[in-house]
Amino acid sequence: MKRLSMVQQLNSKTILLSSVLQIGDSREITTRSNILAVQRQYELFFGNEGEGTFPVFTKPIPKLDVSVPLHIHRLNESPVLSVRSIYLIAASTASVVHIGSTSTINGETRIKHIRQLADSSSTSSIPQATIHITKDG
Amino acid sequence: MNYTVINREVQVGDIYLTAVTSSSIFLIGDVDTIHLSSAFDTPPESLIIGPLVPLAPKGS
Repeated sequence: MKRLSMVQQLNSKTILLSSVLQIGDSREITTRSNILAVQRQYELFFGNEGEGTFPVFTKPIPKLDVSVPLHIHRLNESPVLSVRSIYLIAASTASVVHIGSTSTINGETRIKHIRQLADSSSTSSIPQATIHITKDG
Repeated sequence: MNYTVINREVQVGDIYLTAVTSSSIFLIGDVDTIHLSSAFDTPPESLIIGPLVPLAPKGS
């Protein structure tokens, strides 16, 4: 038997990018998120980027193998989990915020960061950006 | 393997969290199985200094 979760107050601002805010019991939660973050020295976006695959998005992630059969005995002396208040700013990138009990949670995130800087000698030939943003607006 | 857990009374006051990210969980409750993985790739070659060309277009 699973315990009862009691939260009097929850204040959360943002839930984004394949995240889950679950209030109440659930059986199975699966979250996935693939992120390609490109930072450039100049405001440039070519439109067709990231359609090819990077190994970080395709490589299989090994799963922990539990070889020994496990028998868990739970003795719930108190049937309640009580929390007065939760203040949460953000849940992001395949994360889970769960008030209540569940059976299985499965989450996977793959992130690739690339920073692209112009060669100091080639700064005179900056490609034309479709949108140009300056500090002064 | 036998594993025994005794859950006594739990009463928490206020929780302040800034963020839960990248396949993390924040759980108030019971759970049987959790599988979370996160792959973050920022190798040295992720810093490209040179012509600002498109990255990995279709077919590459």
